[in-house]
Amino acid sequence: MLQSGGVESHMYQLATKLIDRGHKVIIITHSYKTRHGVRYLTNGLKVYYVPFFVIYRESTLPTVFSFFPIFRNILIREKIDIVHGHASLSSLCHEAILHARTMGLRTCFTDHSLFGFADAASILTNKLLKFTLSDVDHVICVSHTCKENTVLRAALDPSMVSVIPNAVVAENFKPDPTAASKSHITIVVISRLFYNKGTDLLVAAIPRICELHPSVHFIIAGSGPKAIDLEQMLEKHMLQDRVQMLGPVRHEEVRDVMVRGHIYLHPSLTEAFGTVLVEAASCGLYVVCTRVGGIPEVLPSHMTVFSRPEEDDLVSATSRAIKEIRMGRVKTEKFHEQVKSMYSWTDVAERTERVYEGICTGERVGLMERLKRYYGCGIWAGKLFVLCVVVDSLILVLLEFLFPQSGIDTARSWPTKAPRMTDGGGRRDRSKRRGSNVEAVVEEDLNGVREN
Amino acid sequence: MRITILNSPQSITKMFTKPPKLRIRTPSSTTVEFTLSNAPPPTLPHTLLTHFTSLLRLILAATTLLLLLTKFQPPPYSSSIHPLIHPILATFSRFSTSLQWRHLLPASAVLLYVLLFIGGYTEESLVVIRDLGVQITTKTGWSTRSRFIPTERVSDMWICEGFRGFEVRFYLAVVVEGEEGLVVVFPTLLPGRRVLELVWRGARRCLHEPKHIGDGVER
Repeated sequence: MLQSGGVESHMYQLATKLIDRGHKVIIITHSYKTRHGVRYLTNGLKVYYVPFFVIYRESTLPTVFSFFPIFRNILIREKIDIVHGHASLSSLCHEAILHARTMGLRTCFTDHSLFGFADAASILTNKLLKFTLSDVDHVICVSHTCKENTVLRAALDPSMVSVIPNAVVAENFKPDPTAASKSHITIVVISRLFYNKGTDLLVAAIPRICELHPSVHFIIAGSGPKAIDLEQMLEKHMLQDRVQMLGPVRHEEVRDVMVRGHIYLHPSLTEAFGTVLVEAASCGLYVVCTRVGGIPEVLPSHMTVFSRPEEDDLVSATSRAIKEIRMGRVKTEKFHEQVKSMYSWTDVAERTERVYEGICTGERVGLMERLKRYYGCGIWAGKLFVLCVVVDSLILVLLEFLFPQSGIDTARSWPTKAPRMTDGGGRRDRSKRRGSNVEAVVEEDLNGVREN
Repeated sequence: MRITILNSPQSITKMFTKPPKLRIRTPSSTTVEFTLSNAPPPTLPHTLLTHFTSLLRLILAATTLLLLLTKFQPPPYSSSIHPLIHPILATFSRFSTSLQWRHLLPASAVLLYVLLFIGGYTEESLVVIRDLGVQITTKTGWSTRSRFIPTERVSDMWICEGFRGFEVRFYLAVVVEGEEGLVVVFPTLLPGRRVLELVWRGARRCLHEPKHIGDGVER
């Protein structure tokens, strides 16, 4: 699935690039059905699939602390300095940041999603986010819209929030001008078919676009609860020969689907960043998208046609894009090089590294200061949070007694290659890193995100 | 013959026993034996002490069993029993009848478990004989388990990491051809990384070194 791998591939790419720059990175996540234990990925990236959710699934409160012993063990054996949490929905990430702070480590948090403020679920999530973020060293957001959203939700000081966008591996998204049809225009849609991805807009807009432009074809990839609506629409308007539904597509195959089209349509209702837009532009597609969330920040205006998130405007924006393509006014063949120069993971890693350096020089806060911060979270929530932190500190004392630090075997790090002579900047950094021994953990909950 | 003794890091589960020690014996140039044991060194006082405590444990266990037996079936106090045993049995019987089942049963169960299974020494060993195979042995208390893997089925030896309780531990494992899982060496004592690396190097050297220096072919 395409977007499903967003956070996951973000972590993987970032970790790989950080390792290239001389850091040591490990990933902690919980185990899947098919995968648990300690694994190594490319480049010596070590992943701990912690098998703990299975045991303590029933209750919530013990889960807050049950992760602590194993987490502490991993942090000590890997000699971790910075804990970097991803994905705001996972409780694992919030717990990890709390425990890391209790252990006196530096923490960083990346927010990948936007949330509302009104409904009950959002209020609860926001409260949880506020809990974690009241005592975190730095926050990274994927777009400026996302930053505004996070600052409001967690009542943060905007100066401690940085914006580092996602990137794409441009080599994996090369355009192929021969793959697309010459006789008709093909519009590609690749997204999970959910309400928030704007599938309802799609259902309403496709028949109208097909009526207006008889030579336009659609390719829709992805699956989800709204797929049935799309199929009903196809049957009702008898568009089966013009709209092709591919079902779920693996991330590796996305490029092959994209290059078959001329226009990429993205009707999403909310989006923090929209990596898929960058991927589409990199494949040389003209992008039609809704002006929501962080999407307007993603691509320069000559690559996109914006619409409001409504049926009429989406139809007219798509028509405009079709017209532009027919007139040959869009230089889509140049998109790939432009995107390549705009988005690279090396750049993301450099910027993340700068954040790490910043939080390492900051002063350390004591327990009382931390408690004060948590207490300010709310009348009831504040007291509850303080209680949690106090219990967490006591557990740490107990763990120090039961599993003393001297009894924990440290793991060997992956043997690193000799520094490359080509990248001077990286080399300088590497030696510096060695001295200060900074390492980072990227940690996240991949539950429900991975589905192929 | 060469003997090395090494300490391995202690974990909480082994808090009340001595940390295991590694002994390496090389009886011949093609054989290595790695023994990991938390038993004290085999000096005379230690041996005597060990035998004495085992005897004491046996006596106490037997007493507990007898107590249970007399409670379950009070002996007939006829004169057919030997006059020396009779007063002992009578005392036991009196004592056991004064106790209630709900106290006696759990207490004796705990006592028996402690006496028979806790605090015994564990000894685990790995014997590598070139061209023949690898033998893994675990001796815990009364039981001895051992497994022999012929050389042609040993495809490799690995040091891996795994979750165990609240910890991530290193373990040495033998990869056996045609088997799904790995065979763990030292499964109960689980020594630390330094010990494992020493064993791993020694075992692999013994298994895979060229037969003769002139051969130049490593298998």
